[in-house]
Amino acid sequence: MSQVSAQPTGQSSLPKQGRTNSRAGGRSSSGRFRPILLSTASLLIALLLWQLLSTFVFNPFLIPPPLAVIRAAIPMLLSGEIFADVSISMVRVLVGFFTGSLAGIVLGVLLGRVRLLHDLLDPIVELLRYLSPTAMIPIAVIWFGIGEMSKYFLIFWGTFFIVVVNTTAGVWRAPITRQRAAECLGASRLEIFALVVIPSAVPYIVTGMRVAMASSFMSIIPAEILAADSGIGYLLQKSSLLLQTNRIFVALLTICILGFAVDRLFRFFVDRVLTRYMFYIAIA
Amino acid sequence: MLQVAGLSKIYSAGDHSYVALEGIDVAINKGEFFCLLGPSGCGKSTLLNILAGFEPPSSGSVTSNGVGVTGAGRERVMFFQDAGAALFPWLNVEENVRFGLRARKVPRQERDSIIDKYLKMVGLDHHRDKFPSQLSGGMRQRLQIARALAVEPEILLMDEPFGALDALTRRNMHSVLLAIWQRTGKTVVFVTHDIAEAILLADRIGVMSAGPRASIIKMLEIDMQRPRDLTDPKVAQLFRDIETLLAPDMARLEQLNSMTVEN
Repeated sequence: MSQVSAQPTGQSSLPKQGRTNSRAGGRSSSGRFRPILLSTASLLIALLLWQLLSTFVFNPFLIPPPLAVIRAAIPMLLSGEIFADVSISMVRVLVGFFTGSLAGIVLGVLLGRVRLLHDLLDPIVELLRYLSPTAMIPIAVIWFGIGEMSKYFLIFWGTFFIVVVNTTAGVWRAPITRQRAAECLGASRLEIFALVVIPSAVPYIVTGMRVAMASSFMSIIPAEILAADSGIGYLLQKSSLLLQTNRIFVALLTICILGFAVDRLFRFFVDRVLTRYMFYIAIA
Repeated sequence: MLQVAGLSKIYSAGDHSYVALEGIDVAINKGEFFCLLGPSGCGKSTLLNILAGFEPPSSGSVTSNGVGVTGAGRERVMFFQDAGAALFPWLNVEENVRFGLRARKVPRQERDSIIDKYLKMVGLDHHRDKFPSQLSGGMRQRLQIARALAVEPEILLMDEPFGALDALTRRNMHSVLLAIWQRTGKTVVFVTHDIAEAILLADRIGVMSAGPRASIIKMLEIDMQRPRDLTDPKVAQLFRDIETLLAPDMARLEQLNSMTVEN
């Protein structure tokens, strides 16, 4: 029997099924670096294309070429302005994300285990989840003002619903076979819950958190555009008022890079710390 | 040692009730390899679940060593067909076996030697650090066996355990299972729909009719030396006899299935 290593490839936080033959990671000498080389080449070509199109085709005021964007970025980097905005936005995202995830996991587990609670609360959840964080901005401002609290609330709101739904699904999908097997082996009800159901639900919880993280990133920007005096969204808003397209692009690029980096970090963390909990064997 | 008397199981939903099992009487002896053989959907898995204590009977009784069965018990361990679902994917081979020992509060010093013993018995000794997702189907079932045996039950309840394996692996698992059974002297209740499998393995076969109202239509004693050869005339005749026995139920099932298709 071929022995396939289930070591994390760092490519995915999705649960690892059975015995996959992943060709994307490639083990041959050329295969190993292929993805990185291709990505770099692709980005460089895109940058080149952008530079050419902005210089010769498009209005450089509407779409500033990359070099102009970099020129605008340098003073922002040197003065530390960008880092200040980034850290302000990140703190807001992280506070909302962690509190929302914690509350979401707790309620998700409760809804998954206590049938009555689920039947009572699910209709409410099912209605409220359609209120995007952006939709909640006006009321958040009235409730909490334009300070930090309103941002924490908005990110919490967005994260919470996503994590609850995924967590409940994960708890329900803990195979009854596995719970019965544990029962036969002598585990108590509490042990079955803590040592079998919860670990079985982890892949689903992680998936929920990853989606919620992306959503949090997208939610903080409108919140900062409409109701803040600091952060990347505020930077976007301010630059727009001053018609500083270059600076707008700097902010947009910052969002791309930041979102990408945070997601990669999340995946890396999950692959390292939660490796074994992310295995699952597909249930026929 | 496992006594079933007058057992029936009825599932009711609103006005409708479905009588899955009716009038089951069977006594399974200590150290016996007992097979429940019947077509799919005849309720043999239901019966096994009741023996395990996961479901209560609607009437009648199940006693294990004279004590009524009300839930999962130390002496009875169930073994599932879907190893992927039954095993703990976040624990490696060794930890899966350790789980039961921890749950049963076996003294720490003894745990390692018990794990060694059973992993060697099933031939997974050199795969301790692997995770279930890295094992083949046959290896996963062997891990399940080791895990179940480690808590030293008296009775192994097996629900079509090799159904998901390919035919060659299944044959191998038959020898593995028989070797372990002969070595450990456990009682085995083995559910299957495969006549050949039942004949190869069992001391006694309880042939079940198809549901609803399934019952054991015949008890057959298999008094032949193991390993048994399917090409042996006696064995072949037994196969034909059992097939004939099941023919009316198979025909009835055919009719039922074709009726639903037409509708």
